[in-house]
Amino acid sequence: MKHLIALFAALFLAPALAAGPHPDPDKVLRTMIPQAETGFDPAKIFDLYSNTIAEAINEALLTYDYLARPAKLTPRTAEALPEVADAGRIYTFRIKKGIYFTDDPAFKGKRHELTAADYAYSIKRMMDPKVRSPYRPLVDGKIEGLNTLTKKAEQTGSFDYDAPVAGLAMPDRYTLKITLTEPDYNFAYILAMPTFGAVAREVIEYYGNDTNAHPIGTGPYKLGKWVRASFIELIANPDYRGVAWNYTAVEAGDEILLKEMKGKVLPTIGRIEISVMEEDQARLLAFQNRELDLFELRGGLAPRILDGAKLKPEFTAMGAKLSRIVDPELAYPYFNMRQGTFVGLTKDKIALRRALILAYDSDEEVRTVWNGQAEKLEFPIPPGIVGYLPKYRSSNQTNVKLAIALLEKFGYKIGADGWRTLPDGQPLVVHFTTFPDSEGRLLEEMMAKTLEKLHIHILVDKKKFADMLKAERACQIESRADRWIADYPDGDNFMQLFYSKNIGQTNTSCTDIPEYDRLYEKASKLPDGPERTALWVNMARLLEYYGAIRVSVARNRNMVMQSRVIGFKKHPILLADWLYIDIDDSVKEK
Amino acid sequence: MSAYILRRLWQMIPTMLGVVLLVFFLFNYVGGDPAYILAGKISSLEQIASIRRQLGIDEPYYVQLWIFIKQILTADFGSSWATNEPVSQIIMTRIGPSLTVLVPMVIIETVLSVLIAVGVAYVRGSLTDRAVMIGCTVAMSVSLLVYIIVGQYVLAYQLGWFPVQGWGNSFWENLFKYSPLPILLGVAVGIAPNTRLYRTFILDEIHQDYVRTARAKGLSENTVMLRHVLRNAMIPIITNLMTYLPALLVGDFLLERFFSIPGIGREVIVAVERSDFPVVKAITIYVAAATMIANLVADLLYQAVDPRVELK
Repeated sequence: MKHLIALFAALFLAPALAAGPHPDPDKVLRTMIPQAETGFDPAKIFDLYSNTIAEAINEALLTYDYLARPAKLTPRTAEALPEVADAGRIYTFRIKKGIYFTDDPAFKGKRHELTAADYAYSIKRMMDPKVRSPYRPLVDGKIEGLNTLTKKAEQTGSFDYDAPVAGLAMPDRYTLKITLTEPDYNFAYILAMPTFGAVAREVIEYYGNDTNAHPIGTGPYKLGKWVRASFIELIANPDYRGVAWNYTAVEAGDEILLKEMKGKVLPTIGRIEISVMEEDQARLLAFQNRELDLFELRGGLAPRILDGAKLKPEFTAMGAKLSRIVDPELAYPYFNMRQGTFVGLTKDKIALRRALILAYDSDEEVRTVWNGQAEKLEFPIPPGIVGYLPKYRSSNQTNVKLAIALLEKFGYKIGADGWRTLPDGQPLVVHFTTFPDSEGRLLEEMMAKTLEKLHIHILVDKKKFADMLKAERACQIESRADRWIADYPDGDNFMQLFYSKNIGQTNTSCTDIPEYDRLYEKASKLPDGPERTALWVNMARLLEYYGAIRVSVARNRNMVMQSRVIGFKKHPILLADWLYIDIDDSVKEK
Repeated sequence: MSAYILRRLWQMIPTMLGVVLLVFFLFNYVGGDPAYILAGKISSLEQIASIRRQLGIDEPYYVQLWIFIKQILTADFGSSWATNEPVSQIIMTRIGPSLTVLVPMVIIETVLSVLIAVGVAYVRGSLTDRAVMIGCTVAMSVSLLVYIIVGQYVLAYQLGWFPVQGWGNSFWENLFKYSPLPILLGVAVGIAPNTRLYRTFILDEIHQDYVRTARAKGLSENTVMLRHVLRNAMIPIITNLMTYLPALLVGDFLLERFFSIPGIGREVIVAVERSDFPVVKAITIYVAAATMIANLVADLLYQAVDPRVELK
């Protein structure tokens, strides 16, 4: 009898349990992106919003705990976090068995199980010159033997995906052992980025140049209806294994999420409808008309919806909710140390740069440029990121009197025309560059006001995006208000911005301080811990002392939603937060 | 007639060559380097150089220009640098939404403008004429942006007569659900200047000798206006209308942006922002060709409307 019951259970109950989640097809979340998508091939796409969609379709090995702050890695398709050996040089991942790609004609009727080979292939693609992956630098020169294939491909015109790569070993079908050329404790974070989502070789080869239009993955959603640059529909993947919503509360307010979501199997929503809505007014009216459930509130619209950090009464009256974080970003006016007026580490140049930084009022930037939707920063690493120090205070607090005294002491005198000159009597002019848009105009006014307090002339140059990138790579921008948003939640992602070997890449300010470089090289070889934090503090002090940049602000990210959306909390790194939420239509709209 | 058409087509070649040179040099001079955009924020100089090689923008200018000319001759502009989507597919998929809005808009706008212009010309100098003209002047002074913002707020949000924005997959759904408000706003903007312009064309004809002769023959005012005056006023009206037609190919950027219509207007702006040269040059060439063809069609229509016009 016992055997009969066991057999019955095996036949009827086990398949039901293995079937995973049961997202309700009638549950629809209507959300938006503010710019047209460029496609869905994880290796090719370069914009934030396409990556958001890719995160829901193609799964990376790792992801983040939904509630942990600072953001904390958790396994996604991996069985556990990687085993890290040889002081951060060898990463071994074991992939869960029984995960399948969604059906597609490319598989010719066979089911394709996710294996280590799919991840090795996806990583190799990033180094294929024909793919033109914008994220190639994340693996370029980092994996043993991989660059040899790229060099060969550049000569022959064809990338040999079958050639073995020493740094991408597969001891068995489900194990991927990645060997790096140098230790890198942040490599696991990098592998959690959507661009490292697994793709199947058959799919990529089947669709050729059109892979951007055919995303086939193992994730909780698959692409449904797609009207390019207008509308994207994601349908719950019926074969998805499901993930239990089982997170721990860490911040005030998290208990509500636990009450709403604990124990549910994700995804719970059958369909995600994403509209491309470029205009603030369209977004606001669609939300008020209840045509939109969830949207990202951007700066210009904030005063119409928010009263400081809270929703205005008319929005709370309609049941709207707000999830607000400080973005993991650093906005910083910089003064180029390689070309132009500010070059050099002599005392007079340090005095000039520091005077400008001391005269710059970040509180005013929060008010006038960002409509109150930003927070002043003291440390180069923003909140939500490993290494953030809430108690740290910069030595460069706004102080115009001190700025003027510094300039006077080092010979930057006011000339007969009322404007300050260089110590040699030549006119002192700061060339400040912005984008030709409304934000650029506000930043330009902010800098002009700062320099006016010091009687320093400003010359403003406007550059389009491509021209700005080109000029910055060549250190041709003398001064600009730049910003950087985290790729991964480790302070290294911010401290590397001022490492001189990154000039021509991410060090747009062309900061060149030998002592900083020395400390950076030391810190980058260390895992997270007090020793590394102490080095970062010293590095931040060096930036302040030499006046390379003004650590200024990080903007707020405000997500506004209807009351029927439950379980939502904006994550600092995850893009597709709606993977973790539910729709509750029993919540009565007011 | 066929000799005339052939000659005009032949004359289009140097004009097109001029357009090609202008687009090519403008893009290369002020268009920005797309490799920097495609390479992303963490790219190295080697990677940028590699992308430039693949796009062919490291080739000498004369080679790039020859490739451009070959693309025009074969009508194959390759794929978008930003999305890899074939340019022909971009144009084919985006032109539909633009035309769904713009074709009805131009038809309604033209018919209404001509009717109102004939009506006010008929009662020229009266209070009605003056009131309509003042109304037109006021309407012309308001920008399209204001029409859109107010129209979307009042008609879609407050009154709920239309959806605030959106676009579907079905032509009829788009035409009857999502397009009416953009069409209405587009007509509201275009009708005022056109009414004024067409009224002027009609008044110019009203004072001609042949009109006086028609009246002297005892023809009714309706016959004079509709059969004689309107027919002769059609030549400048057709000219004006034909200048509109090529614009259909570039869509209406503002309407498309505010109402989330996936049209060609938005695509052009996005392509320019991304320095996506294949898309920019294809659309520019198609618009230039359409303009020249529209001019030719206008000239042919002149003769159809007025047999006195001789095509040489």
